[in-house]
This record gives sequence, C-alpha cells and structure tokens, in this order.
Amino acid sequence: MPNMEFELGLALPTPNIIKGFDLNNLGLDQPKDMGGLEARNKAARCFSDKSKRSFEQAFGNSEEEYKTKTLLLWSGQPNEEDDHKDQKKRTFSTIDENDAEEVDQVVGWPPIKTWRKKIFQQQHRVGRIGNNRVADTDSGRSIYVKVKMEGVAITRKVDIRLYHSYQTLTNSLITLFARDKKCADDDYTRYILTYLDKEGDWLIAGDIPWQSFIRSVQRLKIIQKICTFWS
Amino acid sequence: MQKKRAYSFPDEVLEHVFSFIQSDKDRNAVSVVCKSWYEIERWCRRKVFIGNCYAVSPKMVIKRFPEVRSIELKGKPHFADFNLVPDGWGGYVLPWIGEMAGAYPWLEEIRLKRMVVTDESLELIAKSFKNFKVLVLFSCEGFSTDGLAAIAAGCKNLSELDLRESEVDDLSGHWLTHFPETCTSLVSLNISCLGSDEVSFSALERLVGRCPNLRSLRLNRAVSLDKIANILCLAPQLVDFGTGNYTTELRPDVLSNLTAAFSSCKELKSLSGFWDVVPAYLPALYSVCSRLTSLNLSYATIHSPEIIKLVSHCSSLQCLLVLDYIEDSGLEALASSCKDLQELRVFPSDPFGVEPNVSLTEKGLVSVSLGCPKLQSVLYFCRRMTNAALVTIAQNCPNFTHFRLCIIEPKTADYMTLEPLDVGFGAIVEHCKDLRRLSLSGLLTDRVFEYIGTYAKKLEMLSVAFAGDSDLGLHHVLSGCESLRKLEIRDCPFGDKALLANAAKLETMRSLWMSSCTVSFGACKLLGQKMHRLNVEVIDETEPPCSRPKSCPVDKLYVYRSISGPRSDMPPFVWTMDEEGTILH
Repeated sequence: MPNMEFELGLALPTPNIIKGFDLNNLGLDQPKDMGGLEARNKAARCFSDKSKRSFEQAFGNSEEEYKTKTLLLWSGQPNEEDDHKDQKKRTFSTIDENDAEEVDQVVGWPPIKTWRKKIFQQQHRVGRIGNNRVADTDSGRSIYVKVKMEGVAITRKVDIRLYHSYQTLTNSLITLFARDKKCADDDYTRYILTYLDKEGDWLIAGDIPWQSFIRSVQRLKIIQKICTFWS
Repeated sequence: MQKKRAYSFPDEVLEHVFSFIQSDKDRNAVSVVCKSWYEIERWCRRKVFIGNCYAVSPKMVIKRFPEVRSIELKGKPHFADFNLVPDGWGGYVLPWIGEMAGAYPWLEEIRLKRMVVTDESLELIAKSFKNFKVLVLFSCEGFSTDGLAAIAAGCKNLSELDLRESEVDDLSGHWLTHFPETCTSLVSLNISCLGSDEVSFSALERLVGRCPNLRSLRLNRAVSLDKIANILCLAPQLVDFGTGNYTTELRPDVLSNLTAAFSSCKELKSLSGFWDVVPAYLPALYSVCSRLTSLNLSYATIHSPEIIKLVSHCSSLQCLLVLDYIEDSGLEALASSCKDLQELRVFPSDPFGVEPNVSLTEKGLVSVSLGCPKLQSVLYFCRRMTNAALVTIAQNCPNFTHFRLCIIEPKTADYMTLEPLDVGFGAIVEHCKDLRRLSLSGLLTDRVFEYIGTYAKKLEMLSVAFAGDSDLGLHHVLSGCESLRKLEIRDCPFGDKALLANAAKLETMRSLWMSSCTVSFGACKLLGQKMHRLNVEVIDETEPPCSRPKSCPVDKLYVYRSISGPRSDMPPFVWTMDEEGTILH
C-alpha cells in the first residue's frame, strides 16, 4: 500500500499503482536475461500489469503523454553497452577534512558518526611523547601504551591512567591476553609484566612507585616467568 | 445507492472514535475512506510525522491539519552522518517554525532529526508557543547555547529538552541558569553532546533538585565522577541516567558515596555516558545492574575483563552498546548472562588502524546469536566474516528486524573460502522474514541483490557500499523489495539503466541516495523531466554538471518524492531538474 504520508486524493489505494511505468521503454518488450526465472517473472509482472488501473488511467493523464515516455531502450542485458567503461572509478583516497593526519582514507568510511570519530581521534592521535605513548594532548587525561604478550598476534593499547596500581593493571592485562593464548584465566603466577622505560631498558614492572612508573613507561610486554638466578 | 446508516453519525462521535487511532498509517487510511471522514480526521489530527522536510511545504501541512500539537521533521539524508552531504545542503527548520508560529499557537512538541536549527529558530519557538513542552534535537546543528538559554527562559512548561548527538556552539556555560526558579516541570534532560565546560553545575543541581518528575537525565563529559553522587541523591527517581566522565582521583570515599547513591536509585533501568572509565569505580554500579535493561558503554575504554564483570551482573539487559574492546570472549559472556538481549551494537575502537587491535571476529556475533534468542537488532563492526557464520546467525535469529554489518575494509571476502559474502547475506534475508533494515558490507556481487529482491519483502531501508557488479544488482532491489522506503548507495557500479527502468518505483519510496556510482547527468535530467513528483538533486562541489558531457557520471544524486516541487533554498552546488528540463539552482 503506497505510503499516504501526504495527500494523494480520494481514490481507494491501489497497490502497485505505478509498477508498469518504466522510462526505459513503453513496457511492451519483455526484458531478456534478467537473470533467474524468479527475476524474469517479476520483471514480466512489472512490465505488463494490465489487471490494475495504472495511476495514469485513474487520474486522467492522457494516453499520449504516457506513450511518449520512451526514454531508454534496455533489453535487460547487464553491461551490454558499457558506456562508462572509460570513466575512471572514483579515487578512494580523499582526505577527510576533519582528520588531516589520516591520509588515504575513504570519506565517510567506515560509517561512523563524526562525533564518535572525535573520541577515537583523541585516543589514537600521536602525541608529542613519541610513537609508543599516545597522549591526549588537550587535557593530558589519557596515556595510551601498547601492550603485547608473547605468542599473541594482537597488540592492544591501554590507557594506563585509568589504573591506579600495579595489581589492577597486571591482573586486567593478563586476564585479557591469557584468553588469546587459551590458557586458564587468572593464571597470574605464570606471567609477569615487563615494561620499556624512558631509557630504553626492559624492566620488570613493580619496583618503582606507581606515579613514577606511569611517567616512565613506554611499552608493556607480558612474558612467561622463567627460572632465573635472581628470582 | 442506498445511504448507509454508519455515515450518519454526528461528527463529534466520529471524532471521538478517531481519537483512539494514533498511528499515522491508520490515520491516513481513515482519511481516504470518504470526503466527510477526510474532513473530520484532518481537524482532529494532533500529531504529524514528516520523514523528509522537503516532501511537503509547511503551508500545505498547515492547510490540511489546522490543529496540530506535535510535529516531527527529518532533514538531511542519512549519509550526512558520515560527511557525505556537503555543509549547506539544506534541511533548515526556520521556515517551518516561521509558518507554525502563526498557525499553531498551541504547538507543544517539536522533534527534529538532521536539521539545521539556528538560535533564531529557538528564540522563535520560545516566543511563539505558550504551551511548549517537548524539544528533541537529534543530530542537529547550527545553534548555540544562546538559543538554549532562550528555550530555558521562555518555555514555562518545558518537560523535555533532548539534544542527543547534536552539534552545539559553545558560547556560554551559563545557559542553564536561564531556567527560572519556577520551572519544576522537567521530565527529561539530555545534554550529553555538549562540549566540556558548557554547563553550570550548580544551576544543574538546583534544577534537578526542584523537578520531582525528572525521569531521564544525561550529563555531558565535563561532569566528573565525584559530582554524580550528589545528583543521584537529588533525583533517586531517575529511570535513565547518563554519567559524565567516569573518572576521578582514587579516594576511598568516592567509591562508597557512589555505591550508596546508585543503590538509592530503585527505578534506574538505563545507564549511559561512561567517558574515561576508571575500572576501580565500576563496582559502584553492581547494585543496579540486575535491573538494567539498557547499557551504553560505547565511549568506555574499558577492556574485556572489566566489561565481562559488569555485564555478568546485568541479567535483565535488553540493549547493549559497547566498543569492540568487549572482544569475542566478552560476547560469549554476554550470551550466557543476558538472555533477554534484544539489541546489540558493537562499535570499533580503532576504525582507522590497519592491524586489528582487539580479538573481535565473527565468532563473537555467532555466540550472541546462539545464546540470545530474543535478539532483534544488530549493528556490528568487525574485520572479518564468513558465509558460514552468517548462515548460522540467520538460522539462530530469524526474528531480526535490523541487521547492520560493517566489515571495516571494503570488499573483504569470506576469509576462509575467499568467496563473496552473497550467500551469507542471502541467508539473512531468507530467514529473517521481518527484516526492516539492512546494511551490507564485504565483497558482494549482483547475486546478493538477487537474494534481497527475492526475499526481503518487508525491507524498508537498505544501505549499500562498494558492492555489486552491474545495473542488474540495483534492478533486483528496486523491482523486488516491495516495502522499500529508503535506499542509500555509495561506490557501486550502478548506472542509468536500472534507475530509469524503475523510475516509477522511486515515487513509492521516501528517497534514494547514490554517490560515486555511474549514473549519468543525462539520466538525471531525464528522470527529473519525466517524473514530476520527484525532486532529482545533483550535488557536485567541484563544477556544474552541465559543464561536462551528459554522459558523465554525477558525483552525488539524491532523489526524493515531493508534492511541493523543487525547493527554493538550494546552495550553489546542488542542481535540480524540473519539468521543462531546465536546471534549477
């Protein structure tokens, strides 16, 4: 039933009122090879629906006008005359005005609303600190640090400002990554958290006060505990 | 012909009967039964929904429905959300407010979506409608806090002010102080879209404190966690609450205050907000979790373990919005804890990254489809998919009404078989007979459109990107989808033939959007010339389409049905084709 969003007159609603109205031809030719019997039958109904009054007949447009609406003859062959073969496909690498840093992005893809994109940008913008740490330069609120675990392909990022102690950070990270390695949850005892500090050394997390730690940490890595001389 | 008794009911009786008929569809049906019913119905219609503000003019609406109390208008096409519609395209509400100011002095409700609203419009609303109650601005733009101040000051009986997802110009943080002390009627206030520091918190607290009927309150990011406990204590009757920033210094009293505040809210069913979440404060929510039906964690950068802990308390959850930090493991937990789940939206945390940063795959969605039998509505961003997974999902959830899948990289094939995802989406449309909305992604040929045309008989809205091989794809959709109202297409090899062959179909739809396809300017001209009840708009920001050969494809095409003819507010980069074949501009 056509949508009566706006006034169309007082005739009783006729379903498919304009189905036979095709600007490609007069509706007299059967389209060939539309692909599939179903589609062909559908198309046939579409092109020769004589059982219902057409909109034109009901509302008095002249036969003359109806007949002149031959606009494009199409036999239904897909890509028969490829008019636009020469037309170059639109380039995909348009720069989105809103994020100048991220070139080679397709405009409007992935389909995420602008205000959501702004939140991501705050999380992933490269700050002055360097490639490993990403700071929210506007408010200094978040510090994103890359986290890897031996044997796991995914590199995650965590905002270490949201954790207040080694315990919560370590527990959360190990729980998170342990699943990827298909080992038991909460298997804290087998793994330790290490970090790359400002000087470029890999150290075991936990020795320095938390506040100093978050100022110094560049990257995090979870490794399996091994028997060592000094543990 | 014998006069039937029924038609001799006095008008007042019919009007009384009609007052029970609320839905637009039914009202429209009533109005075409006969002339007298048309007359009676139009005088007692109180609510009007206009899905495209350019489909009809304000004067026409007012002429037909003189006693409207509530109006809903939508402006820009949906793809405007993703920056595909240039600024200045249109969707201005001022002409509507201007006409209604004179004609509907008793207007109570205005709901707008994707429209350009100016401070002038807001001031006019505040001045013109003495009994104004509800203002909803969904994804609108063009106004500032000055306009909001006018609304606050001028609308004495305001019950609802909802600015969801709108873009507001921050001029002053004190617009909230313009609510007079006598204002106690607020039921719903959503200011979550306001940027930082735009809200006077003390004014907000006083407002909340004096509105005993306040049911829904959504704060903005600027409000920090330590302030929430106070607000909740002032309004323990809240049903829907949006926090601000869920972060503050770790202090022992904050957690206990917060926990107490939340547990005093016995009616709380819906939570949102949660910017910058400190995981240590999440346990404050546990007491309300079991009652929650709706949870929006889509700004929360908490990871899977914390999400799982939270969600496993939410046994009544019906609607979850979350980032892909939830990962497959979290979705599995969701599937086992939340058996009443009806709607799930998973947003990408790093949509522009090349490598996946989370372990969220097709497996997560399969788990949810298996564990949540009431699942009806899905929006899922992921990086890989298989036909097999989609078939399983379709078989598990034949009740889907909304299915939107976004595989982040365009034209991604089934990662196991390397085939297109035609069969998978085909299964979705075949099994889900009530499907009303579908968004496609991944590698897709014309075949998927054949499935859609064959099976998706209730489909009303279809979104297509980077899909199909030829015009046949578009033809399948236009000729097969009987209920189609909105079709939006980008970057597909669809051209003139299917469009012209199905020109008449376009009059049965609200609108068609095609961008970066291969529809020629000549075809657009023809369409505009021959179809008098369609507005055919060509959008091109680089140069006028008539300066190129007619066979050149247009950049963007927006076709919509209208009974008010071409609009008069087009910007320089929009052309429309009129009946004489002239290009209006």
